[in-house]
Amino acid sequence: MTQALEGFLQALSAGLLIGAVYGLMCVGLGLIFGVMRVINFAQGDFMMLGMYAAFYFFTAFGVQATFGNTFGPFVAILLAGPVLAVFGYFVHLTLISRVSGMRTSSLEGEGHYAQLILTLGIALILQNGGLLVFGSVLASIRTPLSSSAWELGPMLYDVSVFINKARGIDAVVSLVTMLLLTLMITRSRIGKSLRAAADNPTAATYMGIDVDRAHRIAFALGTGITAIAGGLLATNYPFHPFVGVEYVIVMYAGVVLGGMGSLIGAFWGGMTIGLVQQMSTLILPTQLQNAAIFVVFLLIIFFRPQGFFGRMVERT
Amino acid sequence: MLRIEGLTAGYSAIPVLNGVSIKVDEGQFVAIVGPNGAGKTTLFKTISGIVQPSAGTITFEDHDLLAIRPSQRAHLGIAHVPEGRQVFPSLTVMENLEMGAMTEAGQRDWKLNIERIFEWLPILAERRGQFAGTLSGGQQQMLAIGRGLAGSPKLLMLDEPSMGLAPTIADFIFERLIEIRRQSNLTILLVEQRVAEALESADHGYVLEAGRVALEGNNETLRADDRIRKAYLGM
Repeated sequence: MTQALEGFLQALSAGLLIGAVYGLMCVGLGLIFGVMRVINFAQGDFMMLGMYAAFYFFTAFGVQATFGNTFGPFVAILLAGPVLAVFGYFVHLTLISRVSGMRTSSLEGEGHYAQLILTLGIALILQNGGLLVFGSVLASIRTPLSSSAWELGPMLYDVSVFINKARGIDAVVSLVTMLLLTLMITRSRIGKSLRAAADNPTAATYMGIDVDRAHRIAFALGTGITAIAGGLLATNYPFHPFVGVEYVIVMYAGVVLGGMGSLIGAFWGGMTIGLVQQMSTLILPTQLQNAAIFVVFLLIIFFRPQGFFGRMVERT
Repeated sequence: MLRIEGLTAGYSAIPVLNGVSIKVDEGQFVAIVGPNGAGKTTLFKTISGIVQPSAGTITFEDHDLLAIRPSQRAHLGIAHVPEGRQVFPSLTVMENLEMGAMTEAGQRDWKLNIERIFEWLPILAERRGQFAGTLSGGQQQMLAIGRGLAGSPKLLMLDEPSMGLAPTIADFIFERLIEIRRQSNLTILLVEQRVAEALESADHGYVLEAGRVALEGNNETLRADDRIRKAYLGM
């Protein structure tokens, strides 16, 4: 009995911690989809780049020397965010903007076909380019915190829960990033103009909002956010140039679960996936983790097709 | 202030507008009337840059408007209150008004403007925290007008503010527009299907039919014109 309770609490806490990072990962994609309506298949590979960026930044720019082995990785991860945001900005400027935004708004399908091919192409280039540049050896961002834990308890029935320290900090960084992003989107002038451009690009243009620029900002932000999430995941999971493929499906599942177009929904979607993934290990073999995710996904979508926070309204 | 000459524009290869010329002087209230499909909305979209013309010129206060990017045109002082209101549904009433004030002039005059808008359209003050998507049609139209006014425009373009509204609400909105005009002396370009009301309050009017200006003139000439009386005023 005690053992079962301990196992349950352990899986629950792991699910919440991983879920917080998955949530952030989904928010990056959700932001891009919500503002631009572009299905970005390369998002997982942007995350892979974020992981490698954090990996290399840790040993460069004196990050390791200044911040040490324990906190250096987190500094490197936070550096990778803005760097990948700049990368995203230029990817939009040079490539994505050619098949999206005001340029394609009057076309049939609003340029979605070209967007699919283009982002798939970018994904392939990044995966194979990554293989050339980074090699196929598994990399990881290790901090001593990855292999130590805080003990909560002993609580009722003498039960204790162990919280992996790296995962704990990952979750905190993730929540703070999410909070800052939410504040920016809801309160700042630029955030409001992003939402206006998402609601009605034509009317936003009438207001004097440069919709293509709004898209570029959303794309950069979304890329940076996912890169940070990637770096955080890398403190616990080793990665390789093709790691994006594994995560991009989870990202889409999270965004759809939360309700297309809702940032907070994307976060809870990611959180749900993290929880299901960890909790499923209680009753299922680990190999079936991802199968469990999609069974739950299908169940939720069956009963609530618009997702948690999706609205059943037509876009005007 | 606004001068349109020989404008031809449309979607794909079929022109909706065919050599349209229209002039709006500073302080004037100009109405464009005409049946459905005459090209009234396309004319507005061309002024705002959403539709590209294939021929003709548009000049706004010495600026060649066609050389200016669509998103920059609002900053020159052109406010477009679009057909079907097009408020931002997931933004609150207040945030919608803030979006209207994205222009430099709108930023500068924000305090004064918001005060006046709330005075003219008190329902907006009452509903300021509500999502625009949950407002009624009439309230959304008032918000769209308020949003247009929030940018301190020099020219206010209104595309069928009465569309889809109950007659009493349409009357109320018309009456508000007249009052706003009287107090602010704003230059207004109005597109309307309610021909009688539009011609009654406007200084100058154009009748647009099948993409051409069929008739133009000042308030009195148009209202006295036989064709207008028969076709639009039902007399």
